[in-house]
Parts: sequence; structure tokens; C-alpha cells
Amino acid sequence: MEKERDTVLVMPCSGVGKVHGLISREAAYLAVDELAPRTLDLVCLALLVREDEETLAKVKAYPCITIDGCGKACAQKNVEIAGGQVATAFQVAKALSKQRATQPGTGSELTEDGWMVTREIAEAVAEEVDRRCAYKEVT
Amino acid sequence: MAAEMNKTTKVGIISCSGEEIAEGTISRNAVRRVLESLRPHDAVTLCLPLFLAGNEGERNFARTHPTITIDGCDKQCARWGTEKHGGPVACSLVVSDILGDQAASCSRSLRHRTQADAQAVAIVAERIAAEIDALMSEGAQPEMPEDPSADVCACMKPVNTGLVTVKGQQVEIPALPLVFAEYAKQGLRADDAAAAGLIAKAKVFRYIAPEEEDEYTKALLEAYRVYLGG
Repeated sequence: MEKERDTVLVMPCSGVGKVHGLISREAAYLAVDELAPRTLDLVCLALLVREDEETLAKVKAYPCITIDGCGKACAQKNVEIAGGQVATAFQVAKALSKQRATQPGTGSELTEDGWMVTREIAEAVAEEVDRRCAYKEVT
Repeated sequence: MAAEMNKTTKVGIISCSGEEIAEGTISRNAVRRVLESLRPHDAVTLCLPLFLAGNEGERNFARTHPTITIDGCDKQCARWGTEKHGGPVACSLVVSDILGDQAASCSRSLRHRTQADAQAVAIVAERIAAEIDALMSEGAQPEMPEDPSADVCACMKPVNTGLVTVKGQQVEIPALPLVFAEYAKQGLRADDAAAAGLIAKAKVFRYIAPEEEDEYTKALLEAYRVYLGG
């Protein structure tokens, strides 16, 4: 019950063509599997857009952290359209541009640079989860 | 000759985005393998969430190409979305049907990838390639003729990048050659009227901090001026 009360959702980008989508998904997996496994839950973007009842209910019930690949921000926009609350919206393109020399890889593979950016985003997601849970405990 | 004329030139592949399950990862990696190595000249792909969200460029893609959907699970979001918004699909595949229990030992993250993942991706990719071959040989026809000017999602289809010089450093902007070509086609000159549009387009493909917008705008105008021949 405690876990349910503190659940935060994470929704990554679904892009296949470029490295941005892969980084967003790997960052989400890293955050869910290792950094915040007790409080973070991953949801499918396509299921949300398809208006899957279970996914819609989750998005309406819990705050959602979105990790988009590019400025089209499909994940963020679709959570908002579904009536969900976007707690924080990350963007891989923004993270990459902060390190101009980075060669993150391709849509299939990540380089060392790509994994570094992935971990940075995952850690930022986990920090946001911790912050929200700490806030809940205080209030 | 008639057979040649009936042949389709490209097959569209729409992949599951199933981030929650290993089968979603298998579907995306299989699509990438098809696009990169198995059938690079015969297939293109597009972004399912953009498609479902109503992006006309994505929907036009599905209307103008025979499509194969590849879904991770039996909820079949890719097939559902394509048929709802783009018309009937030529072929629908489900990873769990193809692999059966084999997917149980697979991982959704690259970090935990094993030989089982590689084998699963290879099997699914070969199946997609076989379906593409079948459609190409049948001369499958799209719902509508292809519109070469149609917008296709940059997330899903690698695009050419252009270089601009910002504060002495070269910066890559995806899709810039396409933007320049479109502006030139519209007869736009490299002046203030074009500047707002150029920076807006560039921001779609690359994050530009608000404090850097002026520098980027100048750089984009200069690059566009060079593109037009000075």
C-alpha cells in the first residue's frame, strides 16, 4: 500500500529512427530497474494514446515523468491530453546539446557517451522521484 | 512491363512502442535490423505515437505505402492505430505469436542483452523481411499515390543534418537541408522574414536555450544565405 501511494510513472519516447529514442528508453529502464525500483513504474506511450483503460487510469492517478527524444514531445503532450499530471518533462535532445562533442551512438547501440547521458537522465528522474516522495512524507 | 508498373517501391513498417515489455524492444530492434541491413532500400518506418496523436505526415505515410505492423503483445496498438487512421494493413505480425515462450528469456534493456535477445531479434527481423519480399513481389498497392512532399517524423526516419557555426563552433541541425530546400522553393530570401521560421524549425530538431536563440538565428540566416548562393 505504501508503494502504491508513492508511485510515480515514467513514460519514455518511442522513436526508433535515431539515438534519442533509445537513450530515453534506456534511461527509463535504468531508473525503474535500478535507481528507483520501489516507487517508479513504466508505462507504454502507445497504450496511453490508444486509450487503454488500465493505462489511462494509471496516468490519471499518479504523477508522470516524461522522457522525450525531441522537441515534438510526444510523451509529454500525450500525458497532458489524457488528463494526467506531468511532474517533470525531460528531453534527450536538450541533454545531448549540453555536451556538444558527444557521440552518443545510433538508434541501435549506445556508445560510452550515450550511456553517460542515459545515466545522467536516469539519475535526474530518480532525484525527481525522491524529491516528490520526500515532499509527500513531509506533508 | 505491366508487372513492373504495378510494383510498389517501399513498404512501411510500423513498430510497437511497447516500452513495458521485452517484446516491444524486440519489435523495435527487429525493425531497425530490417531498415539497416536486411531490406534497407525496400522499407521505411514511422512513429506510432505521433501517428496515433494525429500527425498528418505520419498518417499520410500509412495511406501512401502498403504497411506491415509489428506488435509486441496481443493488444496490437500498432495495428489498431494504423487501421483506424491509415487504412487496412497489408500484414500484421505479433512478436509473442512468432516467438512463443522464447521471449520469456529476453530483456527490454540493452544492458541485460544476451544471446537469446539477439536470436529473438534475428527471427522476427527475418520474418518481417520475408513479408516485405512477399509484398514487393505481389506488387502491393498503397491506398493513395505517394506524396513526395509529405512530412515524415524525424524521430523515426534518419534525416540529413546541416552545419551552422555558432560562437565559432560547428553545430549540427537535423533536417536543415530539407528546411532550406523548402524555403528556397517558396522563394524566401535570407532576411528577417525567414529568420523566425528558421529558428522555430531548428528548435523542433535541436534544443536551443533561450539565451542562445539570437546567435542561432544569425547562424541559420548565414547558412541559408550561403545555401542560396550568397
